[in-house]
Amino acid sequence: MGNLDALLQGFAIALTFEHILLMILGVLLGILVGVLPGLGAPNGVTLLLPITFSMDPVSAIILLTSTYWGALFGGSTTSILFNIPGEPSSVATTFDGYPMARDGRASEALTFAFMSAGFGALLGVVVITLLSGFVTSFALKFGPAEYFAVYLLAFCSFIAFGSGSPLKTIVSIALGFGFATVGMDSVSGAMRLTFDFNDLIRGISFLVVVIGLFGIGEMLLTLEEGLEFKGADARLRPRAVLAAIRRLPRYWVTMLRGSAVGIWMGITPGGPTAASFMSYGLAKRMSKRGAHFGKGEPEGVIAPETADHSAGTAAMLPMLALGIPGSATAAVMLGGLMIWGLNPGPMLFVERADFVWGMIASMYVGNVVGVILVLATVPLFAAMLSVPFTIIGPIIVTVCIVGAWTVAGAPFDLWLAVVFGIAGWAMKKLEYPIAPLILAMVIGDRAEDAFRQSMIMSQGSITVLWSNALVGTISTLALLLLASPFVTAWITSMRARKALHAARE
Amino acid sequence: MLTRLQLELAACAVVFVLGSLSILGALEHEVGWAADGPQAGYFPFRLGIILVVVSLAIAAQALMMGERRRQLVLSRESARRMLGFFLPLVAYVGIAQVLGLYIATALYLAFVLRTMGSHPWRTSIAVALAVPAVSWVLFEVWFTVPLLKGPVEVWLGLA
Repeated sequence: MGNLDALLQGFAIALTFEHILLMILGVLLGILVGVLPGLGAPNGVTLLLPITFSMDPVSAIILLTSTYWGALFGGSTTSILFNIPGEPSSVATTFDGYPMARDGRASEALTFAFMSAGFGALLGVVVITLLSGFVTSFALKFGPAEYFAVYLLAFCSFIAFGSGSPLKTIVSIALGFGFATVGMDSVSGAMRLTFDFNDLIRGISFLVVVIGLFGIGEMLLTLEEGLEFKGADARLRPRAVLAAIRRLPRYWVTMLRGSAVGIWMGITPGGPTAASFMSYGLAKRMSKRGAHFGKGEPEGVIAPETADHSAGTAAMLPMLALGIPGSATAAVMLGGLMIWGLNPGPMLFVERADFVWGMIASMYVGNVVGVILVLATVPLFAAMLSVPFTIIGPIIVTVCIVGAWTVAGAPFDLWLAVVFGIAGWAMKKLEYPIAPLILAMVIGDRAEDAFRQSMIMSQGSITVLWSNALVGTISTLALLLLASPFVTAWITSMRARKALHAARE
Repeated sequence: MLTRLQLELAACAVVFVLGSLSILGALEHEVGWAADGPQAGYFPFRLGIILVVVSLAIAAQALMMGERRRQLVLSRESARRMLGFFLPLVAYVGIAQVLGLYIATALYLAFVLRTMGSHPWRTSIAVALAVPAVSWVLFEVWFTVPLLKGPVEVWLGLA
């Protein structure tokens, strides 16, 4: 059993004193980032990324992934206590979490949320562990054409599974690709789309774009809505916590179903947000107490939380194995991997097994640490929200601006962050999806390189994308996904027309 | 003040302009397909065309959106609040270009806390001094990532 050996070695790497400290630090920073409005997981991880440039990759990924887990926990905290989702993926937690807290059952709701989230996350890691051995088995079959086909699949699945207008998803992807092409072309060395501006030669950093779109854009949204914290009592009563833990096993069906939804959505790039909504919807339809959903039903907290966290952890597998991030945060981490000099893809499992297994092992430990820390520190972080937003808000702004500087040490990037802040506000308002844009920026260059390399190999013939069974299957699947929203739209309109005819006759 | 239709069309206009820029920029290079596959301008050129075409399609969709087009996405009051947040931010970034991040951060926080938050001078100045001080320890000392500095730091011998 090669996986088990590898995992044990991973634990040996993850369980050093220094790495456990990094996990604790990461989780605490993550909770902070998750609790504060305007600072989400993608943005928090982005702000930390520049300080990891000098770290060794294993320590760096442990810090960043722990921050992610912390942010997921923090996001659920504010959803339950203040009815303000700290993360888009914890919106579904507000539906039943906040009513529970309002009825004075905050301790119970938080415990259910954290424990089920931890359960979902661990199940996600178990699945990653099991599938990782499988990934290495076809690592050597991957060439440029296979890589390009996989990138194509990632984008097509965004268009197919995206909740909004497919046209807007296409705009997001094309814009992301376009921003990625700015600067020096890595194949020919030509300066592209720089229009003789010196500041554009370096290219546009996706980190600055994330800070603008998520950080400053989110702040504009919050301000526009006029934010107020109307909080429930955040003190945790130990007896209620223990009672909730004891009652948790009763909801095993919901937890397993939520995890399954989450793992599926995390591995296919549906993302944690879609997973949590889908899991909530399924639980509501399938539960015996479905009619009570929305009024403070524990199942309504457990379902989205397990899905949210299992999707968060499961998204790490396609990120490592294929270079396809399943969520915006994973996209930022993917960018980090490349900056640290690692090459995401199946070969990573062969060449840098220490990194991969160290990270997987740290995900087990990190999530357990996360559950304990978040239960211990919730009152503290909730108290922090009693500081008026007119103080916290401006401080978050300065953190974002300073963060934009640390990415590359370029004064021009500060202006970019501001411009992308307005763009982020408008995109949210008009329901342009942001995650595909980030994804396209991160893998845009690689996708283009992979495509051009495969074209060089095939002497300019596109048939290379169907040259063997592996690449042919991926490419065909991608094109089917790309066509699916347009086909369903066409079928619905045909049906509507038929129904209209039938009604007239 | 701003309806959904207006914002949709404005976004389409921006996408249209970005797409056109991408086409123009790509035309400085070869946009065709040579023996070694696509050339430097190939992707930017086609991305530009996609952006231009799709932006027009979204604009058309927006115009046919029916009642929802008149939905208000930004009221006058919200716009005022956003502008009150946004103008100081622009000033902050502008000052940072000249005086560096530390001074700009302090000025920004003091101004925003005092005027937008109407906190007493005491609180405003305390926060305005504390944040740059913490940043200094965090970035210059711990992570040894130098932040943008201006003439004042040079004059004080800190840069």
